[in-house]
Amino acid sequence: MMPVRRNASGEPVDALEAATQAWTLAWGQMIETGAKAIKSNSFLIDTKQADVEIAATPSETVFQIDKVRVLHYRPLAKKKADTPPVLICYGLFGRQTMIDLQEDRSLVRNLLNDGIDVYVVDWGNPTRADQYLTFDDYIDLYLGSCVEHVVESNGGKPITLFGICEGGTFAAALAALRPDLFAGLALAITPIDFHGEQDEFWRGEGFLNSWIGNLDGDDVDLLIDTYGMLPGAMTGAVFSSLTPIASMTKYNIGLAAMDGNEPAMLNFLRMEKWIADRPDHPGEAARQWLNELYRENRLANGTFEVLGETVDLSNINCPVLNIYAEQDHIIPVSCSKALGKFVKAELYEEIGFPGGHVGVFVSRKAQGVVAGGITEWLKRTQKKKQKKSKT
Amino acid sequence: MAKTDNGFEHMMDIWQEGQDAFLKAQKEVAESFQKTITPFFDQATSSENAPYQAWQEFIKTWAPDWDPSAIMDGPSSAIFTQGREAFMTMLDPSNWTKYAPEQLREILQSVAQGPQFADLATPHIDAANTWREALDYQKAAADLSKVLQESWTRTYLRFNKTHSLEDLQSGDVQEALDVWLKSANHELLETQRSAEFMDAQKRMLRASVEIKARQRDMAEAWSEAYQIPTRSEIDDLTKIVHELRRELRQVKRELSSSKAKSKK
Repeated sequence: MMPVRRNASGEPVDALEAATQAWTLAWGQMIETGAKAIKSNSFLIDTKQADVEIAATPSETVFQIDKVRVLHYRPLAKKKADTPPVLICYGLFGRQTMIDLQEDRSLVRNLLNDGIDVYVVDWGNPTRADQYLTFDDYIDLYLGSCVEHVVESNGGKPITLFGICEGGTFAAALAALRPDLFAGLALAITPIDFHGEQDEFWRGEGFLNSWIGNLDGDDVDLLIDTYGMLPGAMTGAVFSSLTPIASMTKYNIGLAAMDGNEPAMLNFLRMEKWIADRPDHPGEAARQWLNELYRENRLANGTFEVLGETVDLSNINCPVLNIYAEQDHIIPVSCSKALGKFVKAELYEEIGFPGGHVGVFVSRKAQGVVAGGITEWLKRTQKKKQKKSKT
Repeated sequence: MAKTDNGFEHMMDIWQEGQDAFLKAQKEVAESFQKTITPFFDQATSSENAPYQAWQEFIKTWAPDWDPSAIMDGPSSAIFTQGREAFMTMLDPSNWTKYAPEQLREILQSVAQGPQFADLATPHIDAANTWREALDYQKAAADLSKVLQESWTRTYLRFNKTHSLEDLQSGDVQEALDVWLKSANHELLETQRSAEFMDAQKRMLRASVEIKARQRDMAEAWSEAYQIPTRSEIDDLTKIVHELRRELRQVKRELSSSKAKSKK
């Protein structure tokens, strides 16, 4: 016999009436969700590639070495800021287009609007022909040459290098090896200590570190020897697995929730376009990234070498701004903040962004916090600091 | 159980058994075919209208489930389903032998590491390696799948604890869905951090890369056979070019450095 249901006051509830109410509410919600999904689907049907263009801020190639180019952005502000040019360097696991996703979510545009002279490194599209490139090539030859070019364009005076994620690791290493080239070093979501403070990890933080740490050196070697490259599809799958349910539901529940809202849908599609464009990582450099840095933590241990020279991060002698994301599921906070242990306290500053790894650049909140923070730091620490660099 | 520790001997046993079974089956087929076809052949040739009927009966003798109309019913009909299942069973390496997969793996490993003669081809070693890799991949995939299945089961139990049937009867689908997704995310993240998951995924990665490496070896052999430059040869050339460019840049750098010094 079914127990008699009672309401909060202890009065019996009519079972048929309760069931009917529940049934009606459930159907109402499902119809509402269905209607939203239809709106979102209709929007997708009418949207064309041209509607989701990314990295549209005008620029021109001013330097090229092999596949690597330096893009110089046309100024957007009438008044130029009294700061050195900024060269932005993204990593090899994604494309630099993320920092210029769309007009209202663009680090590049925000800096240009503040009168900053902006250059960006485009690593190109590495193929198996690039599989033997190592960090010697990426840090010293490619990034070093790009920096030298911008320094030369700046009348031989030092510049600010802004490295993001893996590009931040390159930037920190170069700033330690050739400090004379730099008036300032900004980093965002950059791993320095690849092991981090594991006791401080929150749930979902540091999975990548544990996962790579669990691999044997032989596993990494087998992977690179077999593929020649670290396939972009593979790194993309690993990144997706860091947010399992979000990855599983974004094309169904997520799309329905957008209710065909144009700005939300276009932003979503631009992000998808950026995520899908994931290049293969050159094999030998990936082997170093996984074995020497992630597994052996050589940069933090002071044993990482570029062209036979040990990278000593305490050689960095320019103002440093280190931006980390408090909810970063790819680069744990402690892995980024470790840079503070190497740089003199009077030169070192941090901004902790309350968001995730990519949110640092593409979220609405980031437009003010990050870009604004960088501009303020540039103007405060690097004004009138310009002197001739020994290139 | 293996009779001795000699994996090569076991491998030879397996092949010998397969060979015997094949020859025996060939013999039986030939005899059976002869016995079956003769009366139908006689019948078909005795009457003008009989050949089609005779053919149908002949086919039914060989395949009792055969029904020409089944083809018209589409690929989901029983005859095709049965066929597909049989085919998939045939593809499963664990069904190819009387040995348990782990036991077979050891045998294959032992064969793959066995002695080689300088001037004789060693297809048995390649075959043993390929077979072992297929078994490893199958096992790794099953192990990872098990870890994830268990994670979903725990998610369900957790959800059941926090959400009673009565809650669901409230009709608030969105709220129930939100709780379900939150539980699932929590549980999957916990699982991904576990040593069990990490090891299962590592084995899966290793097994899948080994298969990819074997495919590459096959493609190399094929390219070699048809006088096409192999991947390894192109990689060698790429490496030579890369090293030459590096040396050239180093020389250029030293030259410009010495020029700068001489100017001073």
